[in-house]
Amino acid sequence: MDEDVVDVLIIGAGASGAAAAWSLADTRMRIVCLEQGDWTNPADYPSNAANWENQSFGPYSIDPNVRARETDYPINNDDSAVKVVNFNGVGGSTILYAAHFPRLHPSDFQVKTLDAVAEDWPIDYATLEPYFALNDRVMGVSGLSGDPMNPAKQPPLPPLPMGLVGEAMARGFNQLGWHWWPSDSAIISQPYEGRDKCLNLGPCTSGCAQGGKSSTDVTYWPEAIRRGVELRTRCRVREITMNDNGFADGVIYYNAEGEECHQRAEVVVMAANGVGTPRILLNSVSKQFPRGLANSSGLVGKNLMFHPVGNVQGRFDERLDSHKGPQGCCILSKEFYETDLSRGFVRGYNLQITRGAGPMATAMAGFANGTIPWGAGHHEAFAKRFDHVASIGVIGEDLPEEHNTVTLDPKLVDSDGIPAPKITYRYSDNSLKMIAHGIARAEEAMWAAGAVEVRSNGPARLTGWHLLGTARMGSDPGTSVVNHWGRSHDVKNLFIVDGSIFVTGGGVNPTSTIQALALYIADTMKKNLANLFD
Amino acid sequence: MSNLISTDQPFTLDEKEALDALLDTLVPASDAGDKPSAADVEFVQYLAQQDELFIPEVKSLLAILGHISFDSEAEERYERVVAFSNSNPRAFRELLSRVYDCYYQDDRVRRAIGVVSGSPFPQGNEIVSGDLSLLDPVIAEADRHRYRDTK
Ligand SMILES: Cc1cc2nc3c(=O)[nH]c(=O)nc-3n(C[C@H](O)[C@H](O)[C@H](O)COP(=O)(O)OP(=O)(O)OC[C@H]3O[C@@H](n4cnc5c(N)ncnc54)[C@H](O)[C@@H]3O)c2cc1C
Repeated sequence: MDEDVVDVLIIGAGASGAAAAWSLADTRMRIVCLEQGDWTNPADYPSNAANWENQSFGPYSIDPNVRARETDYPINNDDSAVKVVNFNGVGGSTILYAAHFPRLHPSDFQVKTLDAVAEDWPIDYATLEPYFALNDRVMGVSGLSGDPMNPAKQPPLPPLPMGLVGEAMARGFNQLGWHWWPSDSAIISQPYEGRDKCLNLGPCTSGCAQGGKSSTDVTYWPEAIRRGVELRTRCRVREITMNDNGFADGVIYYNAEGEECHQRAEVVVMAANGVGTPRILLNSVSKQFPRGLANSSGLVGKNLMFHPVGNVQGRFDERLDSHKGPQGCCILSKEFYETDLSRGFVRGYNLQITRGAGPMATAMAGFANGTIPWGAGHHEAFAKRFDHVASIGVIGEDLPEEHNTVTLDPKLVDSDGIPAPKITYRYSDNSLKMIAHGIARAEEAMWAAGAVEVRSNGPARLTGWHLLGTARMGSDPGTSVVNHWGRSHDVKNLFIVDGSIFVTGGGVNPTSTIQALALYIADTMKKNLANLFD
Repeated sequence: MSNLISTDQPFTLDEKEALDALLDTLVPASDAGDKPSAADVEFVQYLAQQDELFIPEVKSLLAILGHISFDSEAEERYERVVAFSNSNPRAFRELLSRVYDCYYQDDRVRRAIGVVSGSPFPQGNEIVSGDLSLLDPVIAEADRHRYRDTK
């Protein structure tokens, strides 16, 4: 057995693992991060090539089952209304994310008190506020201060261009008297910290060749490594090991050669995301934890939340330059964010304006939905749609339900033979009503904006971007997995910093909040180093 | 005599003729003449360079499609391809996605539809920043749009 003991071992180098590593580097402890994937080379991203659209459906697909790299693990989605999407490598899913960067609202932390559903978080917005601000600075976030829908904040960089798409939709919202605001975006609108600004390439969700998108491989990691954190790639953790005193004492992982290794550690921090983390915990079975590590509550892998998503696309007579600019970052409306029971559901959603697709995706989508034929009518129909569309994503709050789970698949394994995750998920009535409401409102906004044709679909399946709730926070060890600062109730030197610990999901994209939480947990660890395990 | 065009040509002359007729049926040249026919965008070269594994698929699709050529009327070709797409929807979709992928990489086509030629990076795109005075009504109604207080 390897006797080398590190102080802190982090599993996963994505959004949360990077933030935690960067923050903990202050301590000068010996910190090692194990990441199953590789560094990505920006020169390999699809937008370096003319066939970028095709690549984004294959080797850079957001679906790990399609991408099927050796560094990916398969996911069984057969029993799930939503398919999980992710990226496995340094930067984690931020390599492919759209970088829409809103924060959860203060009300999101108190849904039981306010709306008598789910559970309150054991922390509030005010606790996270300084960490949101710190994260915005380190990541490089563009936005406009003054949005009345959020507590005051000051993004470090001016907003990204709204473009013609944003202007058209802003007019529509204004006509209806609805709230809207330029999106906070983890994409830099000006040169920042040695990185050059966004070039409006378009395809953010297949990696940013320019480096203008703030994925953690270009933000937190270079700095964390300079400050002494060791990041080992191609190291896939199978399980966390325990000593006889009830403490985690390290992990078993497979290295690039497929060799089984044991890394010992004083503290283990999990940052493998809302699917990867429960997978490892459930696979870490011992005498003390026959149902999986840190699982005395039985809640590891349960309460999986996504954000249900609806899509509405409007076609406009005027050209909107839709294919130009960051696809997912433009403007948003929170008109329907908070509970209004007269709508027939509890909690709410945001309306995220997204720009249009590239030419090949436009042509193929038009073929699939019958709006762009092949043959004689192709050019005319294509010209009406390409660069003439705006879209609204309806991103709704999903409430935790124990029957929505991540479990270990009895048959499916990854390339190292580790059991793969199996997702079991169905929409609640509340989510379905919410998305139906959101689609109807988004259609209204499209017509108000001047669309001449509106098409809708949802809830959509390949939308498992936000992986939340599978090892939730709480004060009661009977109803939660970690305490209010991310420490396992059962194992005092095991921490979780990723999206698994969300108690409820809010109605916005979660990564800003995931990273603020990771920074808060790391900071709390630093403040309690002397009595970390008490 | 072999009807192979050359040793590095994956399609026979008959296949190539049928392929060109098929491509032209899928995406004919635009009436304005600014966009070429898909038969004129080096589809074979595209396959050889970017999707070699799909060449055998194309060959078997052509075999299923049977004889099709520019000699037949456009209408007749169209009907043949419709029938083929209805009886082989999956294979047809796979083929069409390659045809569009190749077609919309062509510089003439990209120029005609207002897309930078070649790769998006490093050229990038200019977009209008947007008129932030559009926010005035939201700011004027800030009290109504305020986030829900939890205190
Ligand atoms: C296409 C797409 C678009 C998105 N758009 C947005 C958006 O606009 N806004 C937003 O807020 N969020 C967005 N997201 C979600 C966002 O990327 C995630 O919320 C965020 O990255 C989650 O952070 P994390 O640290 O929990 O996990 P991740 O960033 O996923 O990192 C987990 C890391 O752990 C590693 N890992 C897992 N298991 C193991 C193991 N056994 N051993 C070693 N390493 C392991 C993985 O390889 C991965 O690198 C998007 C995601 C995708 C895929």
